[in-house]
Amino acid sequence: MAGIALTRLTKEFPGDVRALDALDLSIVDGEFFALLGPSGCGKTTLLRTIAGLESPTSGHVRIGQRDVTALPPGARDVAMVFQDYALFPHMTVVENIAYPLRIRREPRPARTARATSVGEQLGLHGLMARRPAELSGGQQQRVALARAVACKPSVFLFDEPLSNLDARLRLEARTFLKRLQREVGVTTVFVTHDQAEALALADRIAVMEAGQIRQLGTPREVFGRPANTFVANFIGSTPMNLLPGVASASAVAVAGFPVVPRREGLDGPVTVGIRPEYVSVSREPVDGALPGTVSIVEHLGTSSLVTVEVDGLLVGATVPEEAEPAPGTPVWLAPSPNRVLVYDADGTLVG
Amino acid sequence: MTVMLAVVRRIGFYVAIGFATAFFAIPLLWLLSAPFDDPPTYAVRLPRHFSVENFAEIARNRYAVPALVNSLLLAIGTMAVVVAAAALAAYALSRVRVPGRDALLYVLLLLSSVVTGTAAMVPIFLLMFQLNLIDSRFGVVLVLSGGLLPAAIFLLKDFIDTIPRSYEESARVFGASPLQILRHIVVPVARPGLATIAVWTIVQVWGSFLTPFILLRDQGKQPAAVLVRTFYTEGGSPNLGLLAAFSLLYSIPVVVMYLLAWSRYGFRFHGGIKS
Repeated sequence: MAGIALTRLTKEFPGDVRALDALDLSIVDGEFFALLGPSGCGKTTLLRTIAGLESPTSGHVRIGQRDVTALPPGARDVAMVFQDYALFPHMTVVENIAYPLRIRREPRPARTARATSVGEQLGLHGLMARRPAELSGGQQQRVALARAVACKPSVFLFDEPLSNLDARLRLEARTFLKRLQREVGVTTVFVTHDQAEALALADRIAVMEAGQIRQLGTPREVFGRPANTFVANFIGSTPMNLLPGVASASAVAVAGFPVVPRREGLDGPVTVGIRPEYVSVSREPVDGALPGTVSIVEHLGTSSLVTVEVDGLLVGATVPEEAEPAPGTPVWLAPSPNRVLVYDADGTLVG
Repeated sequence: MTVMLAVVRRIGFYVAIGFATAFFAIPLLWLLSAPFDDPPTYAVRLPRHFSVENFAEIARNRYAVPALVNSLLLAIGTMAVVVAAAALAAYALSRVRVPGRDALLYVLLLLSSVVTGTAAMVPIFLLMFQLNLIDSRFGVVLVLSGGLLPAAIFLLKDFIDTIPRSYEESARVFGASPLQILRHIVVPVARPGLATIAVWTIVQVWGSFLTPFILLRDQGKQPAAVLVRTFYTEGGSPNLGLLAAFSLLYSIPVVVMYLLAWSRYGFRFHGGIKS
């Protein structure tokens, strides 16, 4: 068991590519931590630097009480699960799970016994003599997890743990992963590009862009109050409405209609963010609502995403199923006032 | 009308293929029938007088059986050198970023056809003379290995490139040393590639003539490919019985190896097979 502390961590690749840019981060002991970001944001490099597979250009990595910056991966007491699981194709499931113990020169009976018990704990009963090629994607993932669990590390590192599974299995595996982490209680860092996965699994999320952390917080904080327009845009399964607005002495207005009361010290152009889920659609005129015309209706299952044209701006709003207005219908949009976020011209959250 | 044309075309195609197949089959059929005929001729026919006298004559010839053993020694020796050196070089070239790596590989491949080629025979002979390796099987193994290594490295590097790096990284995170990674992961996973190189090397050496012919003076050290040249009767005409029987024995190991490798790994030879 150990926390992780990164200080001024920088990684430059040949050709002046800065994958990590003076990054500071501390991860608490026992935490389930997500590194979230679009591809190329440096999240995988960060994970590999913690593992020791990449050495940082400058900065330090501490795991528990030790500075491991100069240590090889094998001496860091971490276990990593790779995106492709990296199961050795010529070894059986048991041999794969027992491999870390084989490296530690544990006697064969002891390591086979441990591998078998861990494998059964992870639902691999009856598959122990098979080779990875004879397993389904979900089973392969469990073998990779079992191999990580079997070596009892102080930190788990998962690189896109769910991205190689098909959509239905992914939900099942997600629940499994969360339960496993709770049971084992080991500090876990995982990398994902899927915001829903990060929100569902993590205790805390770091949203990354261009080698820097743009926001660090619990899923609720990151979802409810994105610190900047990048995070606002990235988080949420339906994209947040980011509308150009103007702050004046009386109020913040979008398309000429005031949506939120005046914010102290704010003047000039701003960006107003509001999630489609927090916009209510009415077919009758409502006081203080934005009038518009329905242009597109997209079905999302239990709800529909309605795109409304307001004075040349497109605003998304979700409505419950079977309550969708037809395209062309005039509607009035009322954002719930305490959910409206205002970003200044630099895209930083101001209220 | 078009159907007729298609039928005629198809017939023509198969007739052409038939002729081509017969052209290649005739020497092979001769190789199967002539050793059992007494006396053998150049004609391809079922043996008139079936006998194994030609094989008995091989047993009596004091160079024939040792020549096959020599071929085996050269083939296995070269195979060991080529597989070991090519595996290490290919692994390093596949995993380490070396500037100009691809150019280096292509130049090596290009030069390799020169190194064991006829053009380089004189310098190679002089080099071996200086090294005091004339008339030594070890010297022949070195020269043959040098010639085969570039192509072997090239083929094996392509193969190792297809092995995901995550296997090795995963083992590294678990604390495996580089040597353990090579032994536990890379070699077992690359085994089909190594087997291809091993079989390919043996076939190449088995069929090589010029290098052992020039570097080995002592007839007792010469391999089968070189010895065949000396099978003449006292009258100066080719000793067909001995030649045919010896050629059959000489070709069997290659066929057996091909079948074994094929049934074990199911791979095809990527060119370069010699009979």
